Amino acid sequence: MLRARDLTLAYAAEPVLEGVNLEVQAGAFASLVGPSGSGKTSILRAATGLQQPRSGRVELDVGREEIGFLFQDDALLPWRTARQNVALGLRIRKVPKGAALDQAEEWLTKMGLAGLGDRYPRELSGGQRKRVAIAQILALRPRLLLMDEPFASLDAIVRAHITQELLGWVEQEHMTVLLVTHDLEEALSVSDVVYVLSQGPRARIRSRYPVPIPRPRNVLHARTDPAFAPLLERLWNDLSEEVRPGAAGQRKAAE
Amino acid sequence: MTTNLLQKRWVRRTLALATLIVLWEVLARIGVLDPFYMPPPSDVVAVLFSVFADGSIWSHLEATFSAALLGLVIGLLIGIILGFTAALVPILAELLEPLMMLLNAIPRVILAPLFVIWLGIDLGSKVALSLVLVAVLIFFAVYGGIKEVDGRLVERVRTLGGGRRVLLTEVYVPSVTAWVMGNLKVAVGFAFTGAVVGEFVASTRGLGYLLQFAQSTYNAALTLALILLIMGFVLLLFSLSERLERRLLRWRYR
Repeated sequence: MLRARDLTLAYAAEPVLEGVNLEVQAGAFASLVGPSGSGKTSILRAATGLQQPRSGRVELDVGREEIGFLFQDDALLPWRTARQNVALGLRIRKVPKGAALDQAEEWLTKMGLAGLGDRYPRELSGGQRKRVAIAQILALRPRLLLMDEPFASLDAIVRAHITQELLGWVEQEHMTVLLVTHDLEEALSVSDVVYVLSQGPRARIRSRYPVPIPRPRNVLHARTDPAFAPLLERLWNDLSEEVRPGAAGQRKAAE
Repeated sequence: MTTNLLQKRWVRRTLALATLIVLWEVLARIGVLDPFYMPPPSDVVAVLFSVFADGSIWSHLEATFSAALLGLVIGLLIGIILGFTAALVPILAELLEPLMMLLNAIPRVILAPLFVIWLGIDLGSKVALSLVLVAVLIFFAVYGGIKEVDGRLVERVRTLGGGRRVLLTEVYVPSVTAWVMGNLKVAVGFAFTGAVVGEFVASTRGLGYLLQFAQSTYNAALTLALILLIMGFVLLLFSLSERLERRLLRWRYR
């Protein structure tokens, strides 16, 4: 569904990541973890066309209109109501205004926000805003969902609830997902495969961890699976090694 | 009861203003303030009442309001159009920005004599001064507003599939509206400044002309009455601007 081929992305002379290869198969849930500055978000931006690669490419089996991008910030239009925000993507896809607003209302109800459609983003809690942002994306029925630490700003309970709901939608709609996160436990509890990026600049894919926990998942129960703890330990050690002071320099020297 | 009333800000402000006016009246009446320079408020109100009663004020009000409102509307339009153009067409920004910065840096009322030479002493020169004052202010509000649009919103709309037109209607215009509305009250003040100063320089009608006349005849009561009148109208327009702002930006105030 999504393949990065020898992908090199740069904001300055030195690339933030270089020669990255990764693949997310159709229907799979993949996560990308790595130290800050390793270019995780940049990979998602390249996949959506927000950033042009310096070299290499991102191959997609879907059109751009079939990609949903859930940002770290909810990034809702502050001058539009929750309903209008959800309807925005539908309106862009030429759905007539009335039908778009009706569909938006349905999605708000599905996301547990019935009756809040007339509220502006500043009148909603952080969790409610995040649900509106999810409804905005899901209303477009994306086949590929890209998520950039979407729940980082939420408290643990709300975060667990929303993650679980989203997993339900991913299963129901058979979406392919690439999630960027700092949270190793979150990555393991939701993903079929976790990619680890090395420290940037010139970050690369350091390792790939298949997660043999059956789907559909419960984000809390997944953590009690016998496979979870050993994987978490390996992942932790892997990343610790990467963020150790001087590790990047040693890697460069070795190369 | 009294303590409760005093806790309200508007009551305290009204009381302070009333105290000041009474003090002024008393000091002028007992001769501490020379009525020639500082006539008592009752005399000022009497003059104000008389210019309305004999109808002599209306043609002056019409002249000043016409100049100020035309200057405000045309200045807003020019400021918005140039601001958008400069923000969306970089090559034009390179032409417009230095000119606007120059106009912004100088006290623009110094252009009044030039407008009189170019456009004569009638309405045109006053409208021109008002609109220059307003247009420069609004240009920077729009230009800055577009430049500082939240990049996350732009990316959000782009990832939803929105192109230039959607970005304009859903992101840039609402964002710039907030900036323009934030500057509207200042623009109203500028529009009146332009009209009155223009009339001050050369005219046959208008509150500025009347002020000039009052000054040349050492008529302090008429001068104060006119100042009071202009303040009243500007405050009224401020209040209307605020209502418009709250209506257009209800997402911010609700």
